[in-house]
Amino acid sequence: MRPFAYTTAGTAVEAVAALAAAGPGARLLAGGTTLYDLMKLEIETPPAVVDVHRVADLAGFDTSGERELVFGAGARMADVAEDGRLRRDYPALTESLWRAASQQLRNMATLGGNLLQRTRCPYFRGGEPFACNKRRPGSGCAAQEGLDRSHALFGGSDDCIAVYPGDWATALVAFDAEVDVLGPGGARSLPLARLHREPGDTPQLEHTLEPGELITRIRVPVTPAGRGSAYLKIRDRESYAFALVSAAVALTVDGDGRVGECRIAVGGVATRPWRVPAAEQALRGQPVSDASARAAGEAAFAGARPGRHNAFKIELGTRTVADAVRVAAGRAVR
Amino acid sequence: MSSPHADVQPVDTRRVDAREKVTGAAVYATDLHPDQLAHAVLATATVGRGRITGLDTAAAEAVPGVLLVLTHLDHLDLQSPGFVMGGGYGVQSLQPLLDEHIAYRGQAVALVVAETLIAATQAAKLVRADYEPEPFAVTLDSPGVERLSQPAVIPLPFLADLDVGDAESAYAAAPVQIDAVYDQPAQHQNPMELIGATVWWRGDTVVVHEGTQNASAIRHGLARQLGIDPANVEVVSPYTGGGFGQKNSLQIHIAPLAVAARRLGRPVKLVVSRTQLFHHTSFRPASRHRIRLGADEHGRMLAALHDVEHQTSRFDLFPMMYTETTARLYGIGDFRGRQTFARMDTQSPGFMRAPFEHPGVFAFESAVDELAYAAQRDPLEFRLANDTTADPVTGEPFSSRHLAQCLRRGAKLFGWSARQWQPASMRADDGSLVGWGVAAGAYPASIVPSAAHLVASADGRIRVGVDGHEMGQGIRSAIALLVAENLGLDVRHVEITVGDTRVATQHLTAGSWGTASTLGAVHAALRELRKQLGADVSGPVDLAAAVGATGREHVESRAETLGPGQTEQDAERARQGLVALAGPEFTGYSTFSWIAHFVEVRVEPTTCRIRVPRVVSVADCGRVASPVTAASQVRGGIVWGIGACLREAGEVDPRYGGWLNASLEEYPVPVNADIGTLDVDFIGEPDLRFHPVGVKGLGEVSMVGVAAAVANAVYHATGVRHRRLPIRIEDVLAGTGLPEPRL
Repeated sequence: MRPFAYTTAGTAVEAVAALAAAGPGARLLAGGTTLYDLMKLEIETPPAVVDVHRVADLAGFDTSGERELVFGAGARMADVAEDGRLRRDYPALTESLWRAASQQLRNMATLGGNLLQRTRCPYFRGGEPFACNKRRPGSGCAAQEGLDRSHALFGGSDDCIAVYPGDWATALVAFDAEVDVLGPGGARSLPLARLHREPGDTPQLEHTLEPGELITRIRVPVTPAGRGSAYLKIRDRESYAFALVSAAVALTVDGDGRVGECRIAVGGVATRPWRVPAAEQALRGQPVSDASARAAGEAAFAGARPGRHNAFKIELGTRTVADAVRVAAGRAVR
Repeated sequence: MSSPHADVQPVDTRRVDAREKVTGAAVYATDLHPDQLAHAVLATATVGRGRITGLDTAAAEAVPGVLLVLTHLDHLDLQSPGFVMGGGYGVQSLQPLLDEHIAYRGQAVALVVAETLIAATQAAKLVRADYEPEPFAVTLDSPGVERLSQPAVIPLPFLADLDVGDAESAYAAAPVQIDAVYDQPAQHQNPMELIGATVWWRGDTVVVHEGTQNASAIRHGLARQLGIDPANVEVVSPYTGGGFGQKNSLQIHIAPLAVAARRLGRPVKLVVSRTQLFHHTSFRPASRHRIRLGADEHGRMLAALHDVEHQTSRFDLFPMMYTETTARLYGIGDFRGRQTFARMDTQSPGFMRAPFEHPGVFAFESAVDELAYAAQRDPLEFRLANDTTADPVTGEPFSSRHLAQCLRRGAKLFGWSARQWQPASMRADDGSLVGWGVAAGAYPASIVPSAAHLVASADGRIRVGVDGHEMGQGIRSAIALLVAENLGLDVRHVEITVGDTRVATQHLTAGSWGTASTLGAVHAALRELRKQLGADVSGPVDLAAAVGATGREHVESRAETLGPGQTEQDAERARQGLVALAGPEFTGYSTFSWIAHFVEVRVEPTTCRIRVPRVVSVADCGRVASPVTAASQVRGGIVWGIGACLREAGEVDPRYGGWLNASLEEYPVPVNADIGTLDVDFIGEPDLRFHPVGVKGLGEVSMVGVAAAVANAVYHATGVRHRRLPIRIEDVLAGTGLPEPRL
């Protein structure tokens, strides 16, 4: 780890000012569960860190609203995962939180920080000698001809196929979440779906925030499909592991047993949170059945581009989406 | 365990050092923080093999607080310690930092010492090396791997080819045959306590605190490396936070730390990081096993051929003994074993819990299961029908073999009789496929020279200084229980010093010989103490009164014991810090520990996730010296077996060398959520032919056969046989044309 300047902020406004004052390359620190890790590996070498983990106006969350759920970016994953209303009305959101990391990490990690969690690609985290365009632009991508079992089927480029690792954002993108940010130019909002970038030929750029901007809130529009939702996560062990494949499904079922509203996203298989409209379209208006669930899964993975060791994720993902549809439909209010 | 004295309260069998360990009061080697402590961090090579052509340490040296940067340019003047399995003391023979050659990625190129850990860490990253790369090979299938037949390059009797009868002819004639290849990856122990040491000089004496299984090898090996008298090396290791074979010899950082401590005149501490640990010390080598088995129509096994190759480094031959155990599992009259090295460009592999027995028995017991199915037999009945009382290799009897009893008792506890023979025939209520698997395991019993020193005091307490290392297995508890039971004492009145070269030689504790060796010496010293006290040969002793009656403050006794058939030559080897073991073949008998495992798996019908809701294991380890820690040992062994079968593999990218998934996040050991109910039972029959108090080994046999039982259960659940570990979700997904469930 390299020496760095450390400052704390008491409010979101102070944080933005501190970030501007700290100059280029400064990073925000919330739970520290990713940033400190990467700093110890010297994958991240910020000259300055602005600690926002005690910023009170980022900490709260409110799931009682009639139009939207509001989550402060500084709320802890563990606290939100235990919220009763969320557990009852948005099980996919709850499950995406408590199936992430470990209890100890969830006690530390924040919702806003989690959105920008960086990839677990071993060639990225491994440092030297591995080629990695994300870590060292222009050095190449060791994963393309390497051990790519955990890598992306969607959204990759010749320069990078690293998976976006988060669970929470995968669930949020299915619910059309919005993100509020505060920056030197003031406050703005953007759809979560536009927060992350695909790697293209600039894999070192992972999000669309402007320099000096801070995520302050995540807002989720209220929807009856929340009740009928599920987040399934398939991984190499039953806890403390990233998804090989995950699926967030939220739906309503109308009086004659057909799917009404329908939202589907997949994780562990794409370079950013990956909504799959084709799967939604395949399921919408269909009776809930094994066949329609399978068809949704197949539609979700129709355009997959596998590498050397990850083709199994197409069938695994198809089945995971189908399972999630079945679980979600079982929970849906009819 | 029965008490020999009916009038004495049952002794407290809880782990005697549990409170210290749970509260953090137990001081491990790198917990020490002596005055003037300096901190060391390693910088490591980034090429798979090659030569350092340039080294720039200026930036590292410029970091405030940096005291010293040691590289090969600093002429450390160290000798090789020699390989622990090649007549030396080291985890490998190659001592880094002595010349410009890089033998493997991750090899140390500099040791940076600073006032703080932060400065040392930062500076280590700033060490810059240029390399002239050379071609390298890192997997069994890589071009450039050199294959050598073991007996051709190490002509020692215990490493010879195994030929009992004429296995090839018997196999060729057998009406039922299995011929299959089983692949197992490299694995890494990852003990909770990282590898590390605190080292300082006291005058001409170097003091080493390191969590180890082999304080004696550190003493003698370091003396050899530094060119000093072993009397001037003091090694202290009261607790080791998990050894698992990785801490069984002199590590490669100790000598450079001693040099740094001497040059600085200060204590120096190094904790090897988790990622570096994957490259810094030993690991379980990848191995490939071809098993051929033949049986007759009645399910009697006639012939077995076990051909193994395993990886080793370019500079050491890590010897292998896979067939020693697989030849003993059943009464197979014709057996052939062949063992081959595959040399490649990694650090030297070494002993990892049940180093040969786990992979060898995974392969063999998988094949036995395949043969049982080919012969249309129940796999439990098939195993029982092939039991033996005599060692098929020597023809002599086993001193004890209760494997059939383990199998029968385990089957009863597990409910095996409700099993349906047909694969893929059992289903749970939730639609999961249910599989029940069984496998046997064995581990050779060995024993080493050992010394004990007892000091009984007038206050009724007794101090025990003895050969042995406490690495979590519970050797203190076993010693305390033996002494307390023998004399009728409260276990809290027994004080124990182990792992300390100031009280005993501290021969390597490994190979599941620790308890038998240590307890043998303590037992002999107790006998001597009773003589000194004028006490009867058995029965409780009022220690305070007996010592008081002598008019002295303390009464001492000493004993030095040897294994059966060992001589003064073995004792002398032990005193030189060398491995001096006897077994498993003794005059007139052979000795092994035995175990049977029964495993239930459930395979989720859609995504094919494998879960292991329950395991029943029944072990024959002779007398159970410490029931609480023994059961813990077995539970730990089961978890290791589940991890080995379903989770763990050191990932290798052949373009880069070294290990890719070098962290606990990426190297998936099982978590609590992966483990269901573990039921452990013991036969508990003392083996008095082998040992004066009837103890055999336990720590390693616990794991042997678990992976096979899991894989056999997966076969039973799905009808698909998996011969490559770990069995991952994609393997089951590909092999299983499972129908998806109904809503």
